[in-house]
Amino acid sequence: MNATVVFARKEALEIVRTWRIVVLPAIILFFAVSAPLLARFTPEIVRAVGGDQLGAITLPDATYVDAYAQWTQSLGQTFLFALIIIYGGIVSFETSSGTAILVLTKPMSRGALVAVKAVTHSVFLAALVIIGSLVTWGVTAAVFGQAPLEPLWSGTLVWLVLGVFYVTLMTFLSVVVPSAAGAAGAGIGSFVLLTIGALWRPLADYSPAGLAGRAAALAAEQPVPGLLGPVLVSLAAAVALVVAAAVLFRRKEL
Amino acid sequence: MSSAIRTSALTKSYGRELVVDALDLDVEEGSIFGFLGPNGAGKTTTLRLATGLARPTSGSIRILGQDVAAVGSAVRSEIGFLPDVPAFYGWMTAPEFLRFAGGLFGMSGAALRERTEMLLDLAGLTDVTSRIGGFSRGMKQRLGIAQALINAPRLLLLDEPTSALDPMGRKDVLDMITALRGRTTVFFSTHILGDVERVCDTVAILDHGRLVTQASIHELKARHGTGKVVVEVIGNSDVLAREFSERRWATATARGDNGRIEIKVTDLRAAQHDIPTMVAAHGSGLARLEAGEIGLEEVFVELVGGDR
Repeated sequence: MNATVVFARKEALEIVRTWRIVVLPAIILFFAVSAPLLARFTPEIVRAVGGDQLGAITLPDATYVDAYAQWTQSLGQTFLFALIIIYGGIVSFETSSGTAILVLTKPMSRGALVAVKAVTHSVFLAALVIIGSLVTWGVTAAVFGQAPLEPLWSGTLVWLVLGVFYVTLMTFLSVVVPSAAGAAGAGIGSFVLLTIGALWRPLADYSPAGLAGRAAALAAEQPVPGLLGPVLVSLAAAVALVVAAAVLFRRKEL
Repeated sequence: MSSAIRTSALTKSYGRELVVDALDLDVEEGSIFGFLGPNGAGKTTTLRLATGLARPTSGSIRILGQDVAAVGSAVRSEIGFLPDVPAFYGWMTAPEFLRFAGGLFGMSGAALRERTEMLLDLAGLTDVTSRIGGFSRGMKQRLGIAQALINAPRLLLLDEPTSALDPMGRKDVLDMITALRGRTTVFFSTHILGDVERVCDTVAILDHGRLVTQASIHELKARHGTGKVVVEVIGNSDVLAREFSERRWATATARGDNGRIEIKVTDLRAAQHDIPTMVAAHGSGLARLEAGEIGLEEVFVELVGGDR
């Protein structure tokens, strides 16, 4: 069997048999369940807290659109934060712990190691997001009695492109920065820059910076012009980041 | 005989620190080669260069006739490597790790299963079902040796393979290395001289990154005398020490306290025969006469111990 396939199987098994199978799934399931509930009860909570201070302001009743907006917002902020921190050591953990030495002194190329990690964890992320979407769809239907699939899927899929971009960004940073905490810090810095960058229209139109806003808009059934630009640029950037990570890792001394 | 490892002016430096200094090494295929040196001599770095984990600053290293810098997995498919502190995926079991290691070499099916079972038996881990994360250092070391043998390598590179093992574990590993004689080239670094003396055909001694010597153990001992005699005489010790050093069988003489004289000799029997006669001829007393074969340790200390 090909060494790359064997290593990919190891990566998949490692996800299933270590803390990785608990942390990200737990976070995403929490958001999947809490998003519709939070959306449903937010107006009542605000009314209860605000009381007479709201005066003549009337809060509209929540709908499934609010549940979907809450879901994509959670994915785009807290979940991305967790993802960045968790994947800070996606490559460097193998080198710092010494496990890479036993793997890379066998017929397994360094480039393949990096690529396998990026691909396996992107697939894992996709599976998590799909399961999370199904859960949030079910809870939304139960809470609101109405939960059309299209806005949820389109918003989530656009977010998934952003998620894959961040997995590859962390793969790259984990090769460049030897410590997991350092790479996570650099990842959070990139996240802040992209979030601020989204305010500048040209950057939002042609970079991953514009994806979070577009995902939220799609989930809220709002028109989203120019979706292809940031999606294609993000996918190309993801590929470029993996290639760059592989090239840098080949030059590294272990 | 072709070379399993050949280095030519191999040099590795980290910044201004020279770790391996113009190393010229030639390891014959089929030999059991001991790579000796004190801690920090550059042994591990040389092994990292041999496995492609690090790149030389200058010079070259050829493994099984192929330039390590130019070829990738082609040469790695023919070597087995055990680092000084092997690290495993703690969530795997020993059989799982061996199957994983074999899979990286393209092994599968019955061949991999049989090889895994054989190596688990060799490592004494057949009935161990727990995860590697709970293994002792000795168990990890034995598993490390097993994984290095999974592909039946032509060249086995071992970095301090016995350092973490208890006496029984050490014996097992050395027996295993001995059993590979003639089938696999074994290159192992160590500072345990007894291990080298027991199993190696040839040794190289490294100090401060430089090759001090490379020779067969027999040749090395012959070069530095084959035996050592320690005598303690009562009276005339200066005169006797001078007379001992003038004998044909003496290669070096050293004076100690209380009439102690240490003599390195090429002919132990002749020395044992002559020394009591010479002591008696001077009317001196012979308090002690101890003779024995010179060990690699004495050679090692003589070669690298001078500036320590």
